[in-house]
Amino acid sequence: MSKSIENLKSLRERIKKSTEERANLQHSKGKLSAIERINALLDSGSFSPILSHITPYGSTFDSQKIDQLGDGVIAGYGTINGRGVIVFAEDFTFMGGSMGVAHLNKISRAIELAVKMGLPVIGLYDSGGARIQEGVHSLTALGGVFYNNVMASGYIPQIAVIMGPCAGGACYSPALMDFIIMVEKVSYMFITGPKVVKSVIGEDKTPDELGGPTVHATKSGVATHIAKNDLEALQLVRKLLSYLPNNALLDPPFIQTNDPIDRVDAELNQFIPEDQRKPYDMKVLINRIFDKDTFFEVHKDFAQNAVVGFARLGGYSVGIIANQPKFLGGVLDIDSSDKISRFIRFCNAFNIPLFTFVDTPGYMPGTKQEYGGIIRHGAKVIYAYSEANVPKITIIVRKAYGGAYIAMCSRLLGADVVYAYPTAEIAVMGPEGAIEIIYKKEIEATPIEERQALIERLVKEYREKWANPYEAASKGHIDDIILPEETRSVLYKALLKLSKKKYEFYLKKKHGIIPT
Amino acid sequence: MKEVTSPLSGKVIRINVKVGDKIDENTSVLVLESMKMEIDVYPEFSGVVKEIKIKEGEDIESGQVLMIVE
Repeated sequence: MSKSIENLKSLRERIKKSTEERANLQHSKGKLSAIERINALLDSGSFSPILSHITPYGSTFDSQKIDQLGDGVIAGYGTINGRGVIVFAEDFTFMGGSMGVAHLNKISRAIELAVKMGLPVIGLYDSGGARIQEGVHSLTALGGVFYNNVMASGYIPQIAVIMGPCAGGACYSPALMDFIIMVEKVSYMFITGPKVVKSVIGEDKTPDELGGPTVHATKSGVATHIAKNDLEALQLVRKLLSYLPNNALLDPPFIQTNDPIDRVDAELNQFIPEDQRKPYDMKVLINRIFDKDTFFEVHKDFAQNAVVGFARLGGYSVGIIANQPKFLGGVLDIDSSDKISRFIRFCNAFNIPLFTFVDTPGYMPGTKQEYGGIIRHGAKVIYAYSEANVPKITIIVRKAYGGAYIAMCSRLLGADVVYAYPTAEIAVMGPEGAIEIIYKKEIEATPIEERQALIERLVKEYREKWANPYEAASKGHIDDIILPEETRSVLYKALLKLSKKKYEFYLKKKHGIIPT
Repeated sequence: MKEVTSPLSGKVIRINVKVGDKIDENTSVLVLESMKMEIDVYPEFSGVVKEIKIKEGEDIESGQVLMIVE
């Protein structure tokens, strides 16, 4: 064997040994190593690395310093269920996974490759942050990653998995991507760490209290999913990708399910309470209409008064947006508006048809919401629905009042087909509020002891006249009034009819100004 | 000791738990009437009800303490 071949073989042998030793450090913290994560994510044996011999900024190749090869991040090409993806994984065991110039430029290179080839990019983050030793150079390279994330946004799906620390400016790379999955116990994300927070504003919080997975999944909405461990997180990525196309020019993959499309679900006719004040679980309705076991929820624990997620209908990938009467009556507030509008824009970018289920008493009242800017947040829902040009199908389940009726993908915002259940009430406001305004004088002129009876009679009349789907249908706001039991087949037919929908582009402009 | 607070203002129409009950994130501890809806209130944590601070029929404010949980 020639000397050069022998040299490479021995180098590889030492790299392998070093990798195994360092993997043990990760295992002791309940984490997998970078390469183990990549192998668990991708189809077996499909990984092909890029820039694996790159060394840290300012250093040269040194055969004694094996661990610095790759500069703390592994990147490359591989497949998931046979479809190509680009992946990069930070290696916490080299300088705490810190982001040096070479490390960051490699991530940028990976994203550029993903864009060129039109493949999804998956980032596995486990890093202490920008590498202080490389000073402003590492910041420059970090800016380059942000820029690439933004340029890729809306063209290829970008998925971030936070599998360790992610702090300071480094948070913004995942934040610019489409989904963030955080791993329980080992991950946290914050712009300013606990020590600085304590010294600057006196708040004494642990990393987990400040930016652990629960905080981001329930309160901030930064995380779209939580996983129990590394393997579960990587399985979530594989599952999520099954609903998405590789890029914005393609349709999402069709995956046949064995749920018959003409399945009638007679029990659904009794499911929605006639009493408009009674809550129910919207997720039950969703699960029973779409293909069995295909509903994949996004932002499950954040703003639970709305439900968003992917599912399949007759094998086609679809996006679902719904109000959730079980939480806060299904009211629209700041967080649920953000959740809904972001999901709509993602689906629209990747050619995923939208199904909207409406049952909301309206926008949430009060100073907390007004001061927080419910006007500009709520406006996003209207903006996102109007802008979306994928097939838009709306089902008015029960309450659709006022501005919230318009916002939840009404005909006016370009819904292609609108259905209503017989329980639907479409009106400017609920009967009780409405008659108090319309019949203010009559009510005041009635003796107090007779008022209750008068109000009850007026509410009943109002409900019969306005609070039903027939008036709205007679004016063309609704295409058909359907029985809950037949929803599945009705929606499937609507989806097929719209599958050839031509996307309209109106005015040439750089981009609209979405309220934020 | 943790506090269950009201997510919004409204009238308490039903209290579903009593002192000593074990509750968790999926327990509807009480039902509020607000925005013409019956709204279940769920705690953000699990524990045992130590004290109930409100009565049925009472009007409450957003953020008001409803229960003390241990």
